[in-house]
Amino acid sequence: MKDKVITFLFVGILFIVGICLFVKGDKELSFYERRKLVTIDKVKSDFFGNLDDYMSDQFPFRDEVISFNSVTQRYLFRIKDKNDVYVVEDYLIEKNYPYNEKEVMSFIDKINYINSNYLRDSNVFYSVIPDKSYFLKDGYLKLDFDRLMAQLSKDVNIQYIDIFDSFVMEDYFKTDIHLKQDSYFKVMSVFDRYLNFGYRNLTYNKNVYENFYGASVGKVGSYVDSEDIMYFSNSFIDNAIVKHLEFGKRDVYDKDKLNDVDSYNLFLSGPSSLIEIVNENSGNNKELIIFRDSFASSFVPLLIPYYNKITMIDLRYIKMDLVPNYVDFKNKDVLFLYSSLILNSSSLLKVN
Amino acid sequence: MVFSSISFLFFFLPLLFLVYFLAPKRFKNYVLLFFSLLFYFFGEKWYVILLITSCVINYLCGIFMERFNKKAFLVIGLFINLGLLFYYKYTNFFIGTFNDIFGFGIHTLSVVLPLGISFFTFQNISYLIDVYRGDVRAQRNLFLYSTYITLFPQLVAGPIVRYKDVNEELDKRDSSYSLFSSGVVRFVTGLGKKVLIADLFYSMGTSIMKSNMSFLSYLLVAISFTFQIYYDFSGYSDMAIGLGRMFGFNFKENFNYPLIASSVTDFWRRWHISLSSFFRDYVYIPLGGNRKGIFKTIRNIFLVWLLTGLWHGASWNFVFWGLYFFVLLIIEKFFLKKYLKGGIFSYFYTFVVILVSFVIFSITDLSQLFVFLKGLFCIGVTLVNYESLYYLDIYFVLIVVSLVGISPYFKEKLENLKKGKLNKVINVCEVLWVILVFVLSVTSLISSTFNPFIYFRF
Repeated sequence: MKDKVITFLFVGILFIVGICLFVKGDKELSFYERRKLVTIDKVKSDFFGNLDDYMSDQFPFRDEVISFNSVTQRYLFRIKDKNDVYVVEDYLIEKNYPYNEKEVMSFIDKINYINSNYLRDSNVFYSVIPDKSYFLKDGYLKLDFDRLMAQLSKDVNIQYIDIFDSFVMEDYFKTDIHLKQDSYFKVMSVFDRYLNFGYRNLTYNKNVYENFYGASVGKVGSYVDSEDIMYFSNSFIDNAIVKHLEFGKRDVYDKDKLNDVDSYNLFLSGPSSLIEIVNENSGNNKELIIFRDSFASSFVPLLIPYYNKITMIDLRYIKMDLVPNYVDFKNKDVLFLYSSLILNSSSLLKVN
Repeated sequence: MVFSSISFLFFFLPLLFLVYFLAPKRFKNYVLLFFSLLFYFFGEKWYVILLITSCVINYLCGIFMERFNKKAFLVIGLFINLGLLFYYKYTNFFIGTFNDIFGFGIHTLSVVLPLGISFFTFQNISYLIDVYRGDVRAQRNLFLYSTYITLFPQLVAGPIVRYKDVNEELDKRDSSYSLFSSGVVRFVTGLGKKVLIADLFYSMGTSIMKSNMSFLSYLLVAISFTFQIYYDFSGYSDMAIGLGRMFGFNFKENFNYPLIASSVTDFWRRWHISLSSFFRDYVYIPLGGNRKGIFKTIRNIFLVWLLTGLWHGASWNFVFWGLYFFVLLIIEKFFLKKYLKGGIFSYFYTFVVILVSFVIFSITDLSQLFVFLKGLFCIGVTLVNYESLYYLDIYFVLIVVSLVGISPYFKEKLENLKKGKLNKVINVCEVLWVILVFVLSVTSLISSTFNPFIYFRF
């Protein structure tokens, strides 16, 4: 009896799943993996080469199966991370480990080099935003942040704006690496102390999009609840003119991106090498230049009311040598604003 | 194509079941031959022609040995088989070595190693030698011979099945629910070993290797290498044996709990049995074995282990791996034998030397290997660090589960219980266990294709 049960169950499962795979319609896009799935057309073009990819991609309940596997690995084998993402009390936290001395020193060399070669006539500052792994408790692999900050303090020849301990875990999105936009309100006065842009209490309209899944969801491979993404606007922000070097004029908040797989691109349309934001209603001639990563995308809109012009430079997408063709640094305020993730992987920055 | 793939499980296998079990008895071997070639074609495309050619040549050599000159056609057959193996597997290794030693600038060949060539070449050789010795009669049917060589369960990763062991089953074999279901249980067990355990040890090893290393880290990586190779290879053998049973073949065991061996000699009686017995029967004994004095015994053992090392891969670390075992076996044979009789020292000694052997096996870069071995012997590294304790904590359950699986203790207990009153309960549990392992394995396979595309964005 046992033999028959095992035989029929095994053969039955193989047949039923096999038939389901080919009978059910193909899914073209995986929201969780943020990529196109292999469809039957590819199998038709190269049966032997693409069959396995097709069957794996179109496996019935693929997302649920992957999610189930993540959970079993977490609870059965106590594997804490998936694709270098920890799940801690609903927060998806990307591992930033180990401390890479070469990369950190390279970061320091790069900003010192830019400072001494391009910014002699500018007021220059730097600031560091801790990534979410800063808030991990014991029992997880975590960067030696004390060592990182001590190294910066020792070797960077630029004035430091300390916002490092201003944040708590709740200031970050649960499913994304970034800080929520409203979290930056608490450091506005700190920046104002150095940059003197005249911070004051302004009125903002609070806009909420309720179905936000951050980029970390695609890495962890298991179901998590969506969260809200908030963005703040007022007449200064709404009327600002935003010009991207690559794709021309856009709004500060690119609402079309809310329906993309990466909704954080709402803020200044996502990755971009060079952005100029002009606020003709500022009533002053203040200009700010920011060397930045994507954390600044949600912060900079809050600075718009205080400046006539803000220029954002992302050195991951443009070489430093080319920047003077587009930006004049003379007598400007310049801020290097990077997350600790970039500091530990600074070879991405195209300097030299 | 590999057994642990979705296309094998849910396309190839059900299709084969359908055609094979509906086909009349006299066509079943043709069905197996066709699907075996299809299986090979999936992974290797046009190397299938090489496989077919190899079958035809060896089939003809077998026939000609009986009809004409035994020795001449044995030599021709061996020359062709070993020539093909040398060309595809070792040419670039030797060119590279000559270039390194003599500074030649000889260009390497752009050849890709055909999957399973080491296995099917050895099966062909064993067949030719058995025919030469008169242990079996040459197979008169080319399709039957080709079915034996290409039989997909053992084609790409063994075990090395000898013709004389399956000769009768090729002609006539039984199928029953009992045999089929035992095949399913064995196959699923192997799949679980490969997918649920070996692959996790691979992740463990690669994760730890990226961290700051301490002695404990090196030890954990050595453990991960050992368990990964054991669970991967023995899992694949289990799957092969299980699939064989589903189609009525009874392949011999290839592993017999090697990680609880009490000496290296004992280990090689339990590890990759089909390979070690091949070298014993076709190299060691024909050279005289241990019957021609100490010097020749040592020479014969040396040759066997040099060849064993080279068989595993065309790289110097495999040569060292083979010679490492040669040295250990000689030491055991002449000095240690009396101390290795199953006590704690025996098991500890064996486990440690096996651990080191799999480090040599896994690290192909000799300079990295040297650094690793230094670390493993705690030279120039700290004993423990935060990271190694973190990884020990993370992978502790996996290591414990794997330790349970390297011993027959629980299996034997279960078999004893089956003989008693709990038989029915255990049968139900066994069915549930098979389903659970299969479902978990499939979810793990799907999850391994989880391929998030996230551009570098922060």
